[in-house]
Amino acid sequence: MRWIRGKAKLFYARIACSGLAMALMASATAGCREPLAAPIPSAQSDEASPRRGGTLHLASFGDVRGLDSVTGEALASQMGELIYAGLVDLDAKANVIPDLATHWERTSDGLTYTFFLRSNVRFHDGEELTADDVKRSMERALHPTTPNALGSFYENLAGFDEYTTKNAPELPGVEVVGRYAVAFHLKKPDATFLTLMALMPARPVCKSAGHRYVDTWSPCGAGPFKLLPGGWEHGRSLTLVRHEGYFRPGLPYLDAVNVTYGMNLVTQRFKFEAGVLDVLRETLQADALRFQNDPRWKPYATLEPSIQSFGENMNTEMPPFDNVEVRRAVACAIDREQYHLLRASNVSAHTHAVPADVPGYNPNVPGQKLDLAEALEHMRKAGFPYDPATGRGGYEPHIEYVVQRQSFGEYTAQVLKQSLAKIGIRIDIRAVNFPTYLALTHRRHRVAFSPQGWSQDYPDAIDFYDSLFASKSINDEDSSNSAFYKNPTLDDVLEQAHHELDPAARQALLDRAESIVQGDAPWAFTHSYRFVNVRQPYVRNYRLHPSWTFEVREMWFDRIKDVMVTGALGPLLRSRTPERAGMATRRSLR
Amino acid sequence: MKRLAERLVWAVLVLWAVITLTFVINNVLPGDPARMVAGPAARPADIERIRQQLGLDRPLLAQYARFMSRLVHTPRAAADDVPDKEHASCAAWGQLHIDLGKSYQQRRPVTTILAEKLPRTAMLAMAALLVQLVLGVLMGILAAMKRGTRADLGIVGVSLLGVSMPTFMLGIGLQYVFAHRLKWLPLDGFGKTPRENLLSLVLPALTLGIFGAAYYTRLVRDEMIGLLQQDYIRTALAKGASRYRAVLVHALRNALVPIVTVVALDLGALVGGAVVTETLFRWPGIGALSVNALLDRDGPVILGTVLLTSTAIVLSNVVADFLYVLLDPRIRASSGDTPR
Repeated sequence: MRWIRGKAKLFYARIACSGLAMALMASATAGCREPLAAPIPSAQSDEASPRRGGTLHLASFGDVRGLDSVTGEALASQMGELIYAGLVDLDAKANVIPDLATHWERTSDGLTYTFFLRSNVRFHDGEELTADDVKRSMERALHPTTPNALGSFYENLAGFDEYTTKNAPELPGVEVVGRYAVAFHLKKPDATFLTLMALMPARPVCKSAGHRYVDTWSPCGAGPFKLLPGGWEHGRSLTLVRHEGYFRPGLPYLDAVNVTYGMNLVTQRFKFEAGVLDVLRETLQADALRFQNDPRWKPYATLEPSIQSFGENMNTEMPPFDNVEVRRAVACAIDREQYHLLRASNVSAHTHAVPADVPGYNPNVPGQKLDLAEALEHMRKAGFPYDPATGRGGYEPHIEYVVQRQSFGEYTAQVLKQSLAKIGIRIDIRAVNFPTYLALTHRRHRVAFSPQGWSQDYPDAIDFYDSLFASKSINDEDSSNSAFYKNPTLDDVLEQAHHELDPAARQALLDRAESIVQGDAPWAFTHSYRFVNVRQPYVRNYRLHPSWTFEVREMWFDRIKDVMVTGALGPLLRSRTPERAGMATRRSLR
Repeated sequence: MKRLAERLVWAVLVLWAVITLTFVINNVLPGDPARMVAGPAARPADIERIRQQLGLDRPLLAQYARFMSRLVHTPRAAADDVPDKEHASCAAWGQLHIDLGKSYQQRRPVTTILAEKLPRTAMLAMAALLVQLVLGVLMGILAAMKRGTRADLGIVGVSLLGVSMPTFMLGIGLQYVFAHRLKWLPLDGFGKTPRENLLSLVLPALTLGIFGAAYYTRLVRDEMIGLLQQDYIRTALAKGASRYRAVLVHALRNALVPIVTVVALDLGALVGGAVVTETLFRWPGIGALSVNALLDRDGPVILGTVLLTSTAIVLSNVVADFLYVLLDPRIRASSGDTPR
């Protein structure tokens, strides 16, 4: 008994200590609520001409796994844009613009595109880029031994199947027609072809890459920045330096770009405020709001383009969502504004399949909306009438709702649960880790209900419709169409939209596709997520980009000589790299 | 010697069991490594191609056999088995080579990745252990000597606070005070010069060490209180030994017996990395690597980190056993393993 009392005392003491510890740390970190440090001003007026010099310092909590243009990794594509130049590129509105190619010609049948390259373009290793390099790079990217996650995007190239599965010696879809001219032959006209040519796998790589992918190749392209030996420490940092032979004279302005990986969000904020990082992209919700609401920072805190779409995914092969009326009821029952309020800094309510800043989005097509009366009517039509006054009726069995643990979906799940309770649908939330979530929700007949999101692979509305709702995207496992939604009419519309080259006619087809998925509601579209991007004022020519985060080529630094501000250990920390010493810097204007 | 050989055979068996179990668990868990490599946007045809490239389309037994046969082999075997010989990296150990394959995600040999991370983890582990030992033993002795006084109460209270405080809270607090506000130390990272490394080490070592020190304090205090009531201590005091001499010379050695065991076990566990601390301070060690590998379903890296960690724990257990025997003659006598 005495022992039990002693143990109990110790237990309560530990609880008390835990509380005290939390309180102490909370007070210690109360600085989180102290005013933000002031922005570090630029040295000159807004009209000043760009200057060369400076290193852009960025950070990310994630890590870049590979820098080869063919591995198609999302986090690497921002860096890939700096290392590799494409025949074409995308501008800030996601329009296709010339890059290595000065111009291109399309045959009247839409089956052949001929690109005319700039002459005397130099790779990072000094070699000249020619049409042979374009063909070799494409064949390397699409070879069956290459771990290219985006290879199927180019399946419309003539001879793709033979080359990727039957060991054909070359890819006939890419033809060298001159030293600086290369033709791409397609099986069918393709409205997205030019956009796909701007993606990383289609960008030429140095001759040192050879004809086949190997893990140990050091990234080398014709982009504005190059990777020097030792410039990439796996899991830690990546430094790219200016390519002096870049084909656009005078560009880039920056000497180098440095990205530190694996940095937690609190540290990122501390370093950004201290001027060690120049741009802050990953923030805690509270910090994002503070930057957005602080009048000093407001002009420099911008929301990135909306290229992600989220919704509640309903498996149309499993009850009750095999009934279209139930799906419509769900789409009408969700209060999307609550989703926005959960993360007001960068989540906005959204009611369409396609995000607002993706070409092809049309706000004039009516979206799903909150209407409880209509939702109850859909439930009645489905055969599950519900009386909100008595709580009787509705769909009696509880539906398992699988969500990724520690994701935003875990919070929105609570909103969803309450929203659906009003129309007689009861859900049980099951949180699992990310690989499990992916495996379960994209497998046939496994999960009836889950939150899903899609971020653009390339800036075109059809990427969303194709990936999420086309029948061809259904698979027993790894199905990107995780609603397992089949609609021959939609398939036909999408097929036409793929091959329609007239912009107006194509937009009409995309609008029709949107109307179909709105009506059939394989997803209840809920919100769109946007990163809050904060920069220091001395970062000039700062332009957000819908595919590459921001445009670095023309960015320049208007900053001044650093004066170290150090603490008691300052003399110990003095080094040529202040960011390594982790100290604050204050800049005096020249 | 016979006892040592016996322990080592057991150690090898334990390691084999751990590796096999990890392999099985890793393969039955939901989540497709090929899908994780390809990313959510990849289409099934691309995922299938990547699956074949990684050898994940083979039967499970064949994958296991391939892994085990490559794990420890002679250079000749390596030449037969490793597909891209020019890039195969093995840790040579006499005539034996250890080949853990390539990371699915990084596409680099696992041995290379571990070789990069291990020294940094070891550095952090040793520094944290130093903090734990110095703080823990000193505070423990002081509390035992001042038993029942306010000083004792204060030390016990502080140690209870240290044990109760979540590591991430302590870490963020230290970062905020010493790096962000006072600017005495780096916020995170790992420097390029020895001096920078040393400064970068301070905060993570303190974060990791304070928790352990709190635990050691209580352990040493309790052990010391028991020992200070023993007859031989009273005899030493009666013979005129000072109180400090009685404590530091006579009692401390015996108090160290359980401490040494705990330290050896701690060291083994610390080699496995301190996930929270390493992540918080961007310390490039084994802990953060293993968690990321687990989330990415990066099988070869998971197996590599498990093998490394379990080897460290098994070896530290063996070392702890022998230190125990060396420090306590009574155990030596009872085991009949008297050294010459």
